[in-house]
Amino acid sequence: MSEQIISMQGICKSYQMGGETLNVLKSVDFSVNKGEFTAILGPSGSGKSTLMNIIGCMDSFDSGTYLLNGIPIHEAKERDLVKIRNEQIGFIFQNYHLIPTYTVMQNIIMPLLMRGEDRKTAEKECQEVVEMLGLAERLQHKPSELSGGQRQRVAIARALCSKPSLLLADEPTGALDQNSGAEVLRLFTKLHEMGNTIVMITHDLNVAKWAERTVRIVDGEVFEDAG
Amino acid sequence: MRFSEILHLVRLNLTQNKFKVLLTSIGIIVGAATIVIVIAIGRGGKADVAEQFRNLNAGAIDISYEQAQSSGFSFGGGGEGMSFPGGGNMPDFSGGNFTPPSGGDFIPPSGGERPERGSGEISGRSGFFSGFGEMFGGMFGGDGETKNTQKITLTTDDMDDLATYVPGLSETTISYTTKQDIYGGNIEETESYTVAGTLSDYADLSNLSLLFGEYLTDADNENKSKVCVLGYSAAKAIFGSPEDAYDSLVYIDDRPYTVAGVLAEQGTVEAGISADEAIFIPYATGIKYLTGSDISPTITVIAADVNDIQTVIENVKAVLASSYPDAEFTISDAGSKMEAANKSNETLTLMLIAMASIVFVIGGIGIMNVLFVSVKERTKEIGILKAIGGSRKDILLEFLLEACCISMIGGVLGVLVSFLVSPVISTFSIRMEMSVTGAVLALCFSLVTGTVFGFYPAWKASKLVPVEALASE
Ligand SMILES: Nc1ncnc2c1ncn2[C@@H]1O[C@H](COP(=O)(O)OP(=O)(O)OP(=O)(O)O)[C@@H](O)[C@H]1O
Ligand SMILES: [Mg+2]
Repeated sequence: MSEQIISMQGICKSYQMGGETLNVLKSVDFSVNKGEFTAILGPSGSGKSTLMNIIGCMDSFDSGTYLLNGIPIHEAKERDLVKIRNEQIGFIFQNYHLIPTYTVMQNIIMPLLMRGEDRKTAEKECQEVVEMLGLAERLQHKPSELSGGQRQRVAIARALCSKPSLLLADEPTGALDQNSGAEVLRLFTKLHEMGNTIVMITHDLNVAKWAERTVRIVDGEVFEDAG
Repeated sequence: MRFSEILHLVRLNLTQNKFKVLLTSIGIIVGAATIVIVIAIGRGGKADVAEQFRNLNAGAIDISYEQAQSSGFSFGGGGEGMSFPGGGNMPDFSGGNFTPPSGGDFIPPSGGERPERGSGEISGRSGFFSGFGEMFGGMFGGDGETKNTQKITLTTDDMDDLATYVPGLSETTISYTTKQDIYGGNIEETESYTVAGTLSDYADLSNLSLLFGEYLTDADNENKSKVCVLGYSAAKAIFGSPEDAYDSLVYIDDRPYTVAGVLAEQGTVEAGISADEAIFIPYATGIKYLTGSDISPTITVIAADVNDIQTVIENVKAVLASSYPDAEFTISDAGSKMEAANKSNETLTLMLIAMASIVFVIGGIGIMNVLFVSVKERTKEIGILKAIGGSRKDILLEFLLEACCISMIGGVLGVLVSFLVSPVISTFSIRMEMSVTGAVLALCFSLVTGTVFGFYPAWKASKLVPVEALASE
């Protein structure tokens, strides 16, 4: 029996829209083992991003229990969540979410700086990841000077350099063309092989195929994919 | 996050938006420049007062008599609000009127002529200062019109009485001024000058020093000699230079006077006869040849101990009352005049500081606005920082430090601006004394403003919920 990184039970999340209640997640049970590469597949508006934000400790939920690496997130305070986001989770977004005024290097080392590391140590620590992602030549560029695929690689580098226990990717290929999308997915496979735990969200079955396990989310409920 | 790294981020953001930083800090620039200038003006004013009163003896008390005017019109000395020991025209507000500040030579109906040096000669600002004094004086100085109806001319006998009966006096003198037509030296047409009738000790009492010759002597007075001492400017105007003036003849009211001495340059003074422009003659000579009894002299007594001034004033009143039971004399002492001038100076400074504070508040609100906009613009960035583990403290600090830096930059630029602008202001004959204190104070104010007004937007930024911040476009 392998170690569970994510263990969610009965997670509910609703939004109040005017007088009506919109139940986005309806008692979701979801768990991920260490080293797994999981895809969450679902149509637009099914609650994928909502679930992802809860997994990533960026959003609150109404009820249910959530253990991340054994830490009870449902009981954690914002102060603890900041630390967890910084140390346990590497986020990769559809729109890269790089800070435009920073250089590539500055963007990549931000999570380490936030931990209190100094610039020199942080830069050294990222060296390996930077080389693996082929960004060594681009470190002093601004994100606006890079292509979409390169930007996403910068975002991945930022997520990796803090050596998180969980990589979360929300539609990582959504803004990329076929080739750069495939490149990112190949990278994910490689990271998976290196032992990283990855949860990836997509509405595209072809993308989901790259993962070793697929979970479907429909109308706020999660089903294990038979295949 | 390390403080140095936060500072690095602040630097990144500021250098990337130089123009925005400049625009943001304009309010602070203006505020800081205002503070520096206000303080410089305040100090300048103080220095001015100190300088203008330097010919006054701290223990000096001037006594003069003001006859009430049946017309209800009073001669208030225009914008100066100060009394002239020689003319004794302490503003009299009994009539409720005051003369417009432009009235240079105003001949009062009461007889004795006043020094021509009126407000016209005082710099615009000084006039403004004294305007304060006048306002306050007008409020509290009104006397009944029933008093001082008879005509009284103070005499040397009165002076001798005071010297004899008032204890604690070190010196006494008496003087008056009159306007007279002068010619001689280089001037062809007669010109009007202030002629002061004084005793031999006047020069000492008024801290006058001589460039050539010597001051009028007791013998000159006793013999009613036609000798005179010229003020520096008067000597230059009439004879071309003080050297040429010495031992020459000046015609006052068509009678020749030998120039026994020329005074060193005194500069502008706020109180007392403007010595530079005046011609001094023996007291008795003036009465004999120029004015007759038609004068209103000022007796000046010097209290030996400055702390005794109030007692001395009471005693002076008592002694005078025994000679003139129903008269009210105008008594003013140098100390309170200086105090009044300094007071109005401080009032002005306070007003200017209030103005500067308002500018700062406006500047601060400007900073706050821009920072709010900046927080809005950078909501996404804040969301990203939060998603990758930025703490509230880091974000608060980053935005707050940004505000502080912007305001510091504004403060420094403001101080620079003030140093550039001060020569321009000085050309309006406003005296400025720039000081390090002023600059430091301006910087402190800038920093405080930036911190106070930067805090709320920074706090707002730090409070953003990560998902919501990230979702914003
Ligand atoms: N802040 C919010 N307030 C109200 N409703 C919200 C909010 N965020 C999401 N929703 C709603 O929750 C539902 C699920 O949203 P979510 O973003 O999780 O969908 P998704 O599966 O990620 O869709 P997509 O594939 O288009 O990204 C949607 O109906 C959406 O309108
Ligand atoms: Mg989504």
